[in-house]
Amino acid sequence: MSKDAVNVFKLVKTPIYSHCFNHDNSVLAITTENNVLIFNVSQPSKPQLIATLADHDKTVTAVDISVHGRIVTCSQDRNAIVWEPLSDGSYKPTLVLLRINRAATSAKWAPNGFKFACGSSARIVAVCYYEHENDWWVSKHIKSEIKSSITSLDWHDNGVVLACGGTEGIVNVYSGFIKGLDKKEQVMNSPWGEGKYPFGLLLKQFYQGSWIHGIKFNASLEKLAFVSHDARLTIADAQNNIATVSNPSGLPLNDIVWVSDSKLVGAGFDCHPVEFSYDPNAGAVKFSKNIDKIVQSGVAKNISLDNFDNEDDDQENGQQTFGISALRKFKDMDLKGKVSVVDNELGTTHQNTITQLRVLNNSTVSSSGLDVCFFH
Amino acid sequence: MSQSLKPYLTAVRYSLTAALNLSNFSSQEVERHNRPEIEVAHQSMELLLNPMHISRNEHEQVLIEPSVNSVRVSIKVKQSDEIEEILVHKFTRFLEQRAENFYILRRVPINNNYSISFLITNQHTETMKVNKLVDFIIEFMEEVDKEISEMKLFLNARARFVAEAYLSEFVY
Amino acid sequence: MEDWRRIDIDALDPENGRLTAADLTKPILQTGEPVYSSQDVQGIMGSLRSYASSGDFTSVVKLITAQPVYFADSEQTKDMYVKQVVESLAQCRTMEISKIVSGLTDSECDVLIKFLYKGMSIPEGAKQGTILLAWLDNIIEKNGSNSIIRYLTDRKTV
Repeated sequence: MSKDAVNVFKLVKTPIYSHCFNHDNSVLAITTENNVLIFNVSQPSKPQLIATLADHDKTVTAVDISVHGRIVTCSQDRNAIVWEPLSDGSYKPTLVLLRINRAATSAKWAPNGFKFACGSSARIVAVCYYEHENDWWVSKHIKSEIKSSITSLDWHDNGVVLACGGTEGIVNVYSGFIKGLDKKEQVMNSPWGEGKYPFGLLLKQFYQGSWIHGIKFNASLEKLAFVSHDARLTIADAQNNIATVSNPSGLPLNDIVWVSDSKLVGAGFDCHPVEFSYDPNAGAVKFSKNIDKIVQSGVAKNISLDNFDNEDDDQENGQQTFGISALRKFKDMDLKGKVSVVDNELGTTHQNTITQLRVLNNSTVSSSGLDVCFFH
Repeated sequence: MSQSLKPYLTAVRYSLTAALNLSNFSSQEVERHNRPEIEVAHQSMELLLNPMHISRNEHEQVLIEPSVNSVRVSIKVKQSDEIEEILVHKFTRFLEQRAENFYILRRVPINNNYSISFLITNQHTETMKVNKLVDFIIEFMEEVDKEISEMKLFLNARARFVAEAYLSEFVY
Repeated sequence: MEDWRRIDIDALDPENGRLTAADLTKPILQTGEPVYSSQDVQGIMGSLRSYASSGDFTSVVKLITAQPVYFADSEQTKDMYVKQVVESLAQCRTMEISKIVSGLTDSECDVLIKFLYKGMSIPEGAKQGTILLAWLDNIIEKNGSNSIIRYLTDRKTV
């Protein structure tokens, strides 16, 4: 992927903790503070704002779109809301009875779109589904063996096996089997359990030791990839075969996706995506390349910054209240980001941490960051 | 830059870069709160990482305490004699009283062993560039030493001038 | 009178679910990580001293990284060991450090860096700050922030 392949959407000025595309990649949902913005991106050159989902009163932490176009959002206000698209383009909110007393941190639709899982800081994973009789979304809790906040979760393609990880440093794999919704055939011959999948059963546990930031299943290989705060990527399976690799830049990854069976892309605190290659036969994973990291060309930027500096100085001569030079430097750097030493802009599209990755198709990955949103 | 200052600053720079990987983390203790976990006295240990002490000698040290959504950086500025102690105290107090203008500055150092403390939260890393924050702290460390010794020279010169002016009264 | 306004009542709730430092190291101890007695540690310290006095610092570092004392019968034992490590490392000549560090594997660097940060936190180590920083500087040059991030997140501490 060359630099040309990067398509940047500068949509908001606030951090984007999560984003999601719908099934045909024409609708994009992003989180911004307490709201979720829905954009029509069928013309990539000019995204159009369709709707603002504004029912949360604290930071929205995750958004996900189901195969049917339903949107689930969850927030630090302890609630999750399912948004049903209406024919006029607006969305109808339905509150989910999450029954948790701390922040909801992550949400993910099961592949069939009839239920979703929601991780929380209350040491609970809530699996939620629609109840016709009462016209609301109810939840069942998974609590066993969770001792800290859940930060990330993912469904297996069979819609029953659910993996979650959190600040405790342990990845747990559970059964999220809902009676009446799921069928036994979905988990026939699945290596993750032994025939029986009662709801909430702990199928597998992997001890990692540091915070888990992102987690993804690969159903065709029956592998589970997760990234943790010690800057490692781990690929594990039901037979306890484990392969690990470190991010060469030495900074943790926030999210990981399987682009194909042999290729993974991760991104995080080093502000650019990293590609890893996986050899399914040997069971080995290794770093293959950095994406979107170009050599710094700081010269031009320095000049423009210098000009800017002079203007600032002129204004400041009038009010020389801060006589001490260190203090003035302190103030300048803090308020204006003015630096007199060599400028070290990052040579990457994202200038800040990448929070989430999504796969659009087998050659395209989208990423959202604390600054802008873009995709390759 | 002196020979031993460079490894000191390099160590601080890399340690800070490794520590400043913060995410938005809502309290798992108090409902609907989002607080810097490093500042909370009673809490879950898993949210803290191992603290990093970096010492150039007994007089110049940095302590970096990272957590899931906040990092506390405490700096002990070189104070080799009583005048420097007073100058550092006055200087840091001056800054701390104006802490709200400096965003990442903490109003009091974490304890008496340190001269000044910074508290960087995920809010700061989201609105500012992380590498610039690191640059800033490094530059602050470089500048503050220079500043203190400059002030000391200035103070001495002034004292000499005052003493001369005063004592010349008695010269006949 | 006790400062009752500041009592942390949540700590008294048996179901608060807080994890303590001991909870975090429990899974590590279950994997069979050795727990050193003070005699064991005395033995290692003796060999450290003899290597250091004969000027064989490669062996010093190899020994430190091969048998890191993460769990000991008491905190005093661990402290005693860290002091000895700092003392041995500080005897090394600055010129030799880069050669020794370049011969270390990544996991050995990860162990060594724990002793460096820990060493600098105690007064004995702070006095030797310059030489410990030289070690740290060489590890950073070799590994960037890789070793640091693993030091931060590793629950096995010295």
